Amino acid sequence: MSNDARRRWGRILLIVGRIALAAIFLSAAYAKMKPQPGMPWTHGSVHTSLSMFAMGVDSYQMLPPWAVSPFAHLLPPLEFLLGFWLLTGFGLRISGLVSTALICAFVAAMYSAYERGLTISCGCFGPGAQIGPKDLIRDGLLFLPLALAVTIGAFLIHRKSSAPSLPESAPSATHAD
Amino acid sequence: MGVLLYLGICVATSAGAQTAPPAAHSTKPATSATTHAHTATSATAALGSPVKTYGSSSAPITMEVFSDYECPSCRNLFETTLRQMIPDYVASGKVYLIHRDYPLPMHKYGYEAARWLNAAARIGQFQAVEAALYDNQNAWAQDGSIEKYVAAAMSPAQFKRVQSQMRGCGFETAASVKPAALALALGGQAGETCSVDSFIEQDRALGNKIPVQSTPTYVITYKGNRLPAGSGIVSWPILKQFFDSLLSQ
Repeated sequence: MSNDARRRWGRILLIVGRIALAAIFLSAAYAKMKPQPGMPWTHGSVHTSLSMFAMGVDSYQMLPPWAVSPFAHLLPPLEFLLGFWLLTGFGLRISGLVSTALICAFVAAMYSAYERGLTISCGCFGPGAQIGPKDLIRDGLLFLPLALAVTIGAFLIHRKSSAPSLPESAPSATHAD
Repeated sequence: MGVLLYLGICVATSAGAQTAPPAAHSTKPATSATTHAHTATSATAALGSPVKTYGSSSAPITMEVFSDYECPSCRNLFETTLRQMIPDYVASGKVYLIHRDYPLPMHKYGYEAARWLNAAARIGQFQAVEAALYDNQNAWAQDGSIEKYVAAAMSPAQFKRVQSQMRGCGFETAASVKPAALALALGGQAGETCSVDSFIEQDRALGNKIPVQSTPTYVITYKGNRLPAGSGIVSWPILKQFFDSLLSQ
């Protein structure tokens, strides 16, 4: 495979990877912000859903009480913006780094809750099943490698595209004779 | 970020106003406990289903808590959150609190505690016995001395009535209760089975439908719409904030 073809495939994989990562963050944000059954989409109903998410955050018993509500009201919008940011592909190295850091924090929080024997819902995609190995595997062995791959890919492509190209008149191995 | 979020909500509001999910999970909290809510204080009434509730069933918010009396997290939820909620949002008619039994097989005395509680609840002593069981959980969870704390929570005459409810209830853990005996109890047959087991099993059956995966698990119903179940401990300020948000809808 020529360098050009390899580079083209790399770019395609990077696009697929960042769209998948964006979909994860967008769906996580949507699940946390969507109105509860029987409620229309209004500012109030979104606030209610975020208050419900705050209950899930509180059950992790990791944040001081004053920080629970602000965190729960900021995280889903942040995930939403991060999803859109990844979709645009703009500043992918930074959005990739932010995604990786965020997923690392999620995995650490879940592992901590699991280790402490807390029988709580993950809350990752809205209310759901109890935290267990399945969630840790999903985030640790699927989402985290994906975020890492996108970040590393973004850095590699940036390095290659910013590397000084040889002048066309420069002698190459094939023209040595 | 705030501006973008606001714009997103505005777009969603205009586009999705008609897409509110159908009330598929809409349920009336009409269960045995709910039906008998207004008889909570009538200890002299004929013994029916145990009343394990706080507040008025006409409150806009209903909170059902599935608990195991031997579970430390359940005690924490009761001591740190529900104890603050009861004189505040329950007393003011905003929240109707229902206790549901969900004794876990891992706890040696959890099932036995649930039996005593149901027996006490049948004579209108639920609230006193629930408080006594949680307050003394560390003690009876060591040696199974549940009876002592139940007795201390009521008058001797009341305790005699509770004891009569417990006739036929041998010591069994949740794991050792025989399905055949349960079936008999659920069928309402008088006989060798413990008369209060059927009430515990009714609660467990409700929990299995959710499904309850751990205790405490709480289910909140607002104006007939059942919200997704939550589990674990939630502090009162956070729960209160959620209730306020619901009530402002």
